[in-house]
Amino acid sequence: MRKAIVRLLTSTALALSSAVGIGGAPAVADPWTPAATDIVGVGGHSSAALLNRLSQDYNAFLAGNGDTTSPRLYSWDAVGSSPIVPKSGAAAIARPLGAEAGLRALLNTTSATVDFARVERSPRAYPEDTSANNFVALAKDAVSWAAKGSGHAPANLTSAQLKNIYECTVTNWRQIDPTLPDATIKPRLPFVGSSVRAHFLRTVNQGTDLVPGACVVSRTDQIEDQGTDPWLDDDDVLLPYSVGHYAGQVYRGHASGADAAGPMTIRSINGIAPIDPALGRVSLAFAGTTYGRVVNNVVRRADWDAGDAHAAALKAIFGTQGWICTNAAGAAAIADYGFIPLPKNACGSVSRA
Amino acid sequence: MSRTRARLAATSAAVVLAVTGMSGAAVADAAPAATAATGSAVVTSSTTFLKDQALNGIVVIPLPTADPAYDSTTGITTTFPVTGGSGDLPAYYGDIDLGGGLLFINLFTGKSATFKQLHFSVGNWQITGVPVGGTSPVALLDPAGDSQVSRANGVQTLTSTDLQVDPAGAQYLDTKLKTSFFKGGQSVGSLAINFTPAS
Repeated sequence: MRKAIVRLLTSTALALSSAVGIGGAPAVADPWTPAATDIVGVGGHSSAALLNRLSQDYNAFLAGNGDTTSPRLYSWDAVGSSPIVPKSGAAAIARPLGAEAGLRALLNTTSATVDFARVERSPRAYPEDTSANNFVALAKDAVSWAAKGSGHAPANLTSAQLKNIYECTVTNWRQIDPTLPDATIKPRLPFVGSSVRAHFLRTVNQGTDLVPGACVVSRTDQIEDQGTDPWLDDDDVLLPYSVGHYAGQVYRGHASGADAAGPMTIRSINGIAPIDPALGRVSLAFAGTTYGRVVNNVVRRADWDAGDAHAAALKAIFGTQGWICTNAAGAAAIADYGFIPLPKNACGSVSRA
Repeated sequence: MSRTRARLAATSAAVVLAVTGMSGAAVADAAPAATAATGSAVVTSSTTFLKDQALNGIVVIPLPTADPAYDSTTGITTTFPVTGGSGDLPAYYGDIDLGGGLLFINLFTGKSATFKQLHFSVGNWQITGVPVGGTSPVALLDPAGDSQVSRANGVQTLTSTDLQVDPAGAQYLDTKLKTSFFKGGQSVGSLAINFTPAS
C-alpha cells in the first residue's frame, strides 16, 4: 500500500512535470521505474499509445483480481527525455526512438533492462531481425500518405505516382493531374529507423527498399505520425503516416500534444481509402493490400522458450492464450486506438526472419 | 450390436479408401491458377480425433489432388498442394489456394457434404471450402495453439500445433450431416503450410 502511494505520487509528479513542459521531461505516459521482474518495452511510435493503454488495462485487470505478484506490463514512449532507466536495477540506456532502435535495445541488453520492442512491421532480412527474436503478432495496421488538408495534393495517388514522387522523377503536381496547382511537390520522410518510413518505401517500390531521390527531405528528429510539426505545415508537403495511429488521433480522440495529426489528412492509394470512417479505424480493404502491416511486440526467442516464470509472464500477456489476445478488453483497446484486431489464434502467433 | 459392427466396418472401409485415395467420389477441382506458386498444406488428424469421429460415424475423405497417408502414431496426414494465391503469411494478408477437396460422410444418417476450392485465408486465419452446389466459402478449420510463421529464401511457412474446427464449419457440418459431432474449437490435429508465391 505504501509502495502504491509512493508510486502514485511519483507518477503524479512526472505527469505534472511533463504537462508543464519542463525541458527534458519524461513522456506523458512513461512509467515510473518498473520492478525488475515487470515486463517492459520500448520502440516504435505508431503503437506506443496503444501499448500504454494495454499496459493500464492489463495492470488494472491483475489488480482487479487481487493479483499483487504477477509481473506488470509497462511501455516506454518513443519520444521523451533520454537516457532512461527502463526498470529497477537496470543501467540507463538512450531512449529508443522507433522500432529499429527498440530492436537494437533488445539485442544489446537482457531482460534485466528490456523485455520487448514495439515493432510495427513483419520480420525481414534486416540485421536486427535475427532468428533469435520472436515477432509476436498484436494487430493489423497500414501505412498510407498524408498531406495538408487545405493544400495542393489530390485525394488519391497510385503506387506508381508515389514511387515517382519519392524518386523525384515527378516533381510538380501538374505531372499528376493538369488540373492541380502548378507547384513543386515536397516529399518528406520521418527519421531513418522509423517503421512507417521503411514500410512505405518498400511498398511503393513493390517489395524492394526504395532509395529516396535528392528532392526528398528527411529530418533526423522528425517523429513519425506527428502532423503537428511546423515543418509539415506546407501546401505541397506529403509524407507517409500510420493509418491506425492517424485513426486513433483523429477518429478516436487519442491525440495528445505533439502526438496529433495537426493539419495533415490521410489520403488514398490506388483508389482505396485507408480509413473506415464508420468504425474509426484502418479499413479492411486497405489493410488487405501490401500497404497493410502487422504490429508486433518482439521478444527474445530464448526468453519466450525458457519455460520459466519470465517466459510464462511474457506469454500471459502477449501469447495466443494471453490476456491481450483472449480478453475482450485487449481487442477493444486495439480497435479504440484505430488498429484492426487480428483473428483469434493469429493474435499472439510468432513470426521469425 | 451387429448394426454397430456393420457401421464400424463401413467406417474402416471408408478410412481405407481415404488412405488409398480411391474414394471414387472425386469432385471437380478448382481450375488451375495462372500463377506458379508452389507448396503444400499438411493437415495431420490426431488419433484422438479419428477415434472420436469413428465412434460417431463420421468419415472425412480427402479428395484428389489431396494426398492422404496414415501413421499409427500420428494419425492420418493429408497433403493439399498449393495451386496459387498471393498470400503473405508474415504480413497476415491474402489467400493461399489449395488443390483437392474434402468429403464428409455421416455413416449413421447417410448424409454427406463435399467441399472444393479450398483456401487458406491468411487475413482471416481460416481454411475455407466451397460446398458443392454452393458459391459461398465456409470456414472449416482454424490454426490454433502455438503458431509460428517464418520466411526464408522466399519460402513462407506456418506451423500450428493445433488445428480446430471453425464454429461456422461446425454449424454447417452438423446441419448438413444431421449430427451434433462437430463443435467450434474442436481439436482436429495440427497444420503445417509451406508456400512459395509466384515470382
